[in-house]
Order: sequence, then C-alpha cells, then structure tokens
Amino acid sequence: MGVTANVVGKLEELPSASSIAIKTGVNSYFDVLRAIVDVFPARHDLYVFYVSSTIPSKNIENLFNLLGIESNRVFFVDTISHLMKESTEFSDRFLYIESPTMLEYIMLKIEYLVRKYTDKKAVVILDSVNSMSIYNGSKIMSEFLHILVTSLRSWDAYMIILSMKEQNTEEIDAMLNMVCDDIYDVEEVE
Amino acid sequence: MADGGRDRCKTGIAGLDSILNGGIPRGNTILITGSCGTGKTTLSLEFLVHGALMGERSMYISVTEAPEKLVDNMITYDFFDKKLINEKKLILVDLQEIYVKLGLEKLEFTLEDVNILVSQIVKIVKELGIKRLVIDSITSICYRLTSKEEIREFILHLGKELSDLGCTTILISELLHSSEGYSQYGVEEAIADGIIFMGNLERRGDLLRTIQVIKMRGTTHSRAKYVLDLTPIGVLLAPLLKGGSSEVT
Repeated sequence: MGVTANVVGKLEELPSASSIAIKTGVNSYFDVLRAIVDVFPARHDLYVFYVSSTIPSKNIENLFNLLGIESNRVFFVDTISHLMKESTEFSDRFLYIESPTMLEYIMLKIEYLVRKYTDKKAVVILDSVNSMSIYNGSKIMSEFLHILVTSLRSWDAYMIILSMKEQNTEEIDAMLNMVCDDIYDVEEVE
Repeated sequence: MADGGRDRCKTGIAGLDSILNGGIPRGNTILITGSCGTGKTTLSLEFLVHGALMGERSMYISVTEAPEKLVDNMITYDFFDKKLINEKKLILVDLQEIYVKLGLEKLEFTLEDVNILVSQIVKIVKELGIKRLVIDSITSICYRLTSKEEIREFILHLGKELSDLGCTTILISELLHSSEGYSQYGVEEAIADGIIFMGNLERRGDLLRTIQVIKMRGTTHSRAKYVLDLTPIGVLLAPLLKGGSSEVT
C-alpha cells in the first residue's frame, strides 16, 4: 500500500475526537497531506481547519490545487503570512494571526471556526510542530498543545499534528508523546 | 454551575460565564475597566444583545458615541438582529439628550444635579422594565463631579436603586495608561460589586488583549487572566499561556 492509504488506514482506526502526531519525512509529505486533507476528511465529510506555520496559506492552497486536492472544505489559520508580508485575503477561509508566537490566538481562531461551522465535525491539522517550535519554547508549546488537544476533544474534533522527521528533536518527541493519543511514524516509500 | 444560590444574569459570553460560575449575580453593579482599544464597549454591547435575545430588555446609555454608530458596529455580529432595536428590546440612549432634558448642560455638577441625574436614569429603567444597563462611560460622568464624595454618592445611589429594581448594571471605566488601580478616580472600584479588568499584555513584542475578573460579589470566580478575541460570533476567551511576560495597561 502507498503512504496515503497507510495514513488513511491509521486514521480510520482512531476513535472519534482523537489526537495523533504523524511523523513524516520530506519525501512522503505530499502523500500524507493528501491523506489528511483530502481522502480522510472527504470520506467522513469533515471540515479541515489547517494551521499553517511553515508556508503561507495561499501557497498551500496553490499546492493543493496542483495536487488535485479539493480545498473547499479547508479553512486556514495562517500564522506566517504576516511575518512574510504576503498579500492576504480576508474571509473565514483565511484567518490570519500576526505571528506563530501568538499561540492563544491560534486556539481562539480554531474555537471561532468550530463554533461557527457546526454542521459538520472537523479535523484540525497543525503543520508543523517543528516550525512552531522555532518560534516557541518547549514549555509554552506543550502547554498550548495540551490545552488545544483537550479543547478539541470536548468539541468532538480530530487533531493531527504533523512533524518532520528530519527536524525532530528529543524534546519534540517527548512533547508529542505527552499530548497525543497516538503517534504514527510514516514509513518512507522508495 | 451557579453557586451561592443567587440568580445569575448570563452574559452570553461562554468563556466569561464559565469564569463567573454561571454569570453575573443579578442586580450587581460592575465596573468594566481598561484603557482604550481593549474591547470594553464590544463586550458590553454583546452582554446587552444576548440579554435582549433572552427576553431581558436592555439599555445602553452612551456618553461618547452616537447610537447610530453603535448600531453600525453591532451589525457586524452574526448574532445581532436589528429587530431588537426596532422592537425596543435593545434601547440605545444618548446621555446628552438626558442632560438637555434635565437642564444639566454644564461642566460641573452639584450633589443636587447628581441626584437629579440618578433619579432620571432610575425612572427610565423602572418605566421601561430594563433588566440590563450599560453606561459608557462612567468616567465621563464622573469628570463633571467635583469631589470624590460626589462620585461615591453617585455610584452608590445609582447602584442601590438599580439593584432594587433587579437591573444588572455595567459601568464602563476608562483607564489612562498611567493610571494606578482599576479606576481613574479610585472611588469607583471600591464601590462597585464587581471589577472586570481588560488590558493589553505585551509578550515578546506581541500585544495580547486580556481580561481578568478582579472581584465579583455574590459568586466564586476565576481570578486568572484570559486572552480574548473579538470575532463576528462574539467575544471568545482562551487561557493565557504561562511564559515570561511584562504587562502594559
């Protein structure tokens, strides 16, 4: 089976409102994205609330278009465009936060989306814990993830935290172990 | 869950009601205090709109902003319905009109003027059956009072009369950046039944809007600081994450 199918298979095993860390390598990143943004949410008719801290949301949307991923169900909470001085579109589909250090506002924007779009359940994707860790210390990151995961559980939403294997540290691994219900290590496909 | 057995006036702001163990104890007069741009007016308007939606007639007495401008601001909320104003479930009053009616168009008020003003506000509340009242701002009224005794008399008298009518009142207090304590004249905070402090917190160059319930008679409550966001579905609160931070008001 390919990476996409494996990741979807893993997500299918999870109980509702679970939190999972997906450790992926650069080579599998796009296949993982297809699984978590397209296949799994489409199968379960979920909204996707996508927290971007690595690449500006507009670029990610373009990437989805290139990959043929349907992005209508995707709402971005973008923490990076302001820093990059990227042009921005203001709508619920693109919510901007001034900096990845404003962690409380990430929680608040997610809460806003969860409270406003109540007709479907949601999966929240954090891409990625590594880039967030560039801007935030491990203590405040752990606190943030713990509160976010707990809140999402109470709102019956899935949480997927992406981590890039090449950039992982022991500290990040320990943090993911602590806050997530499950961890999935993506096997690289040659 | 509400504690202490006192009836609650739900603010309708989920995070705040949770902090207050169910809402503001009904009949309390509370001070919402903070410097400009911290969200005091927005929070107060939301309190009134939710009240009106729940069938409690609500009134906003504005000293600084024209009612039309307030309506324009409220239209951005998903939960706001202009029918509330048309049906007089939400009433916006310009204090200047009350001043004109009472002949109080002067820079300084005597104790007698204060009593006339309080009586008029209480009369309106009674006649219209107002259950939620916001005065924005108490600071601009206090500005016309010449001594702390007059300010004390004004707030005590007003609070007592409104409480007897079962009206839950929010007095908005403007703080200067340089102010110490929670009110500009130092008297308001001591008399009010509750104080909700809204501020700005600077953390590594980011400026976060914060809210903290300092005191609230008649209920147990959280005294922790929360971060707030002003959204089209209303004010949302998240716990302030702990980290090295220095405060600016």
